[in-house]
Amino acid sequence: MHAWLEWARGPAFVFCFSFMLLGLVRHVGVTIWEIRRTLRRAGDRSLPLTAIVKATLTWLLPADRLRREPLFTATSILFHVAILVVPIFLAGHIALWARAVGVSWPAIPNALADVLTILAVVTAAGLIAQRLAARATRALSKPQDHAILILLALPFVTGFLVMHPGLNPFDYESVLFVHVMSGNLIFLLMPLTKLTHAALLPGTQVVAEIGWHWPKDSGSRVGAALGKEEEPV
Amino acid sequence: MSSRERITKTMLWALVGVLAVVTVARFTRGLGAVTNLSDAAPWGLWIAFDVMAGVALAAGGFTLAAAVYIFRLERYRRFTRPAILTAFLGYVAVAVGLLYDLGLPWHIWHPLIYPQPHSVLFEVAMCVMLYLTVLALEFSPVMLEHPWFDRPGFRTAHRLLKRATIPLVIAGIMLSTLHQSSLGSLFLITPYRLHPLWYSPIIWVLFLVSAVGVGLMMVTLESYFSAWLFGHRLPREELAGLGGAASVVLLLYAGLRLGDLAWRHALGPALALSPAAALFWFELALSALVPGVLLAVPAVRRSRRGLGLSALMAVLGVIGYRFDVSIVAFARPAGAAYVPTWMELAVSAGIVSGALLVFIFFVEHLCVYPEAHAAPAPARAPRLDPFGVRPILPEALAAPRRYSLALVAGAAAALGFLPGAGALTGRPTPVPVSPVRMVEGAITTVGAASGHRFALVQTAALSGAETRRVWLMVIDGNRDGRLVVFPHDLHEQALGGDGSCVTCHHANLPFQRDTACAACHRDMYSHTDIFDHDAHTAALGGNAGCVRCHVNRDGPKTRATAIPCVDCHAGMELAGSRVRPELRLSGDAVGYVDAMHGLCVGCHEQRVKEEPAKHPADFARCRNCHRDVDGGALERLAPYRSVHGAAAGVRLGG
Repeated sequence: MHAWLEWARGPAFVFCFSFMLLGLVRHVGVTIWEIRRTLRRAGDRSLPLTAIVKATLTWLLPADRLRREPLFTATSILFHVAILVVPIFLAGHIALWARAVGVSWPAIPNALADVLTILAVVTAAGLIAQRLAARATRALSKPQDHAILILLALPFVTGFLVMHPGLNPFDYESVLFVHVMSGNLIFLLMPLTKLTHAALLPGTQVVAEIGWHWPKDSGSRVGAALGKEEEPV
Repeated sequence: MSSRERITKTMLWALVGVLAVVTVARFTRGLGAVTNLSDAAPWGLWIAFDVMAGVALAAGGFTLAAAVYIFRLERYRRFTRPAILTAFLGYVAVAVGLLYDLGLPWHIWHPLIYPQPHSVLFEVAMCVMLYLTVLALEFSPVMLEHPWFDRPGFRTAHRLLKRATIPLVIAGIMLSTLHQSSLGSLFLITPYRLHPLWYSPIIWVLFLVSAVGVGLMMVTLESYFSAWLFGHRLPREELAGLGGAASVVLLLYAGLRLGDLAWRHALGPALALSPAAALFWFELALSALVPGVLLAVPAVRRSRRGLGLSALMAVLGVIGYRFDVSIVAFARPAGAAYVPTWMELAVSAGIVSGALLVFIFFVEHLCVYPEAHAAPAPARAPRLDPFGVRPILPEALAAPRRYSLALVAGAAAALGFLPGAGALTGRPTPVPVSPVRMVEGAITTVGAASGHRFALVQTAALSGAETRRVWLMVIDGNRDGRLVVFPHDLHEQALGGDGSCVTCHHANLPFQRDTACAACHRDMYSHTDIFDHDAHTAALGGNAGCVRCHVNRDGPKTRATAIPCVDCHAGMELAGSRVRPELRLSGDAVGYVDAMHGLCVGCHEQRVKEEPAKHPADFARCRNCHRDVDGGALERLAPYRSVHGAAAGVRLGG
């Protein structure tokens, strides 16, 4: 098990983490390239930046939605805060970064990390429950949507057990291995699934805006809209 | 675009991604971190494959150009463009590969202004540079045909280059014959390092003739590749003609090689039952004998499979010939075997992949295959799949997504496999410490101001009044023969007899008081973790036991935040040791060299400072212990040899 653990937090981690970083950079690059390309074809190149920034911020802190759907919105916001803060600011994780690359930053107290970890697991369960509860979201949900939430909760469950060995009924290193590998799997899936929104969120409103910039009647004159009028179909 | 082309390009992009990461590692960490090259094996895969084989495989360019433009064999004209493009990309790959292999790649232009006219390598360098330029000029008309270059300046350049075709072809043939042979001439200065079956005074002829043969076979294989990838028609009749010519050239090469050996009465080793002879015959059969004989049969060279198989054998065989000459049959000191690292393979594969991608790009966008270019691909009716996403995304948009993903995946995989990936930095090679040896020796006290002299002896044949026989401790942790002789008895006496062990033996295994240094300081240079976490976990009852040592709930569970060992193991704390208490029980044993220097040099310095009269002047200097460093003589563990050096020491026994 020790050798597996070394592999999981050595080469496997480096592969998954660099795949995530490079993959997200690639997504951002492809998005920028396609925004440029679309704007060039669309003719109307003006972008209402103020409105776009405002819309992005509104979606980051949806006060309006918090009033209309308080339970779901609150669950979602708490879930996001917890899963972002704990992995980045946990003292144990920072110690690993300091050992590997010599960079460290302030940590949150372990007690707060414990609270946020429990919060992450509870809110993940809450999100699944609410997806299943309403008929509309149940119909819209794909297996991926549930699976990703479970996968996201897994490192928090195992991480809590690792941090509290007294409560851990399983073998310490086996649980740590599951913890590391589930984290690796999340990194690996980040550029491949809807988790991409971690990097693409700032551009979402730009892409949505550009949709309105296409030439008139693009729907019926596809050739003209794509700039491929001469090409045979 | 066919799915075959898509899959091929995706795989090639992934290999380029791997190359990107290895490139960064090569140029930031250096050759030693990435390759298995050494002073004993300075030429490895990159020279054998990228340079030696690469240049040979690109010989189709000048061969076809000569056939079509000089000898007017018009029916082979269709091959000239792909052959010249292959040659051009091949030589670019050679130059790029050389940049990886050169220790100071930014000096690659030095032959231009610091010529060494007696060097064969100078000639090779100049020829390759000039021929690369010629190939670029030969191929540029194909580029200038593209509508994008349909502008006045480019039109003029196109006209001029077209007119310069014949002079360029002549220059290309001259330069190619010169350096194809010179790559062989390089080995003329190694008659004693190259195996006799491969060394030849006419090795330059062999290199040139085999290059012409394999160049023709490479053009054939490339037609097969294009037919496979782009669905081009295979020009069977013309290829059969090339095959016939290659048959003559390959058989000529085999005849020259065997005839030269026979002429020099050097064929003996080839008839012996040895691995070298087996390799020789296998390589010669694969490169020339079998394909040469097969292609001499008209039915074989007209058959699709027979011709393709013969070409593949010849290409692999000649690559093997170049490998044998530059690596396998090249003698190295015993034990200095060379096996390339995966990173060396990745660089070669990545460069070839990059060249192939450029080749595919040019074929897609330029008129490289005139007959295929003239007839556009039949328009296919678009398939409409209302439920999928793929048809919505046009290929031009979907392809960059797929290829960039392959690139990213390749790069990430390479990062994961880089040595030392876990720590994100390189790790030192472990050098385990061997325990000290107790050797019978003799000691002569010269006087308080001059110290002692030691000798290592094997027999009892000792004489001399002032010479005593003692047991000496020989310290040579990495067993490299450079040793320190340590008179343990003298130290014991000087430090106060039986109770003084603790001065140096600062931590002991249970029930011991003289645990050896190497028991904990197990590596010459690296730290050793002597704390057995697993044993403690088991002894303290698994998960429930964590908090026994990691009592601090806030903060990471590290060694620094755990309780000190002495809190439980009171007996481990030894009073009166010279080793500083904070280093004594950390569980972290420094490297053997650091431990020895820290203890010995510290104490010696203190002694010489406190009582300068009682100690020799160099008591705290390197040579006081490393007596083989200064004296000039390298004292080894040889019997009857003075450790102190002949000039200063007493010669005992002999």
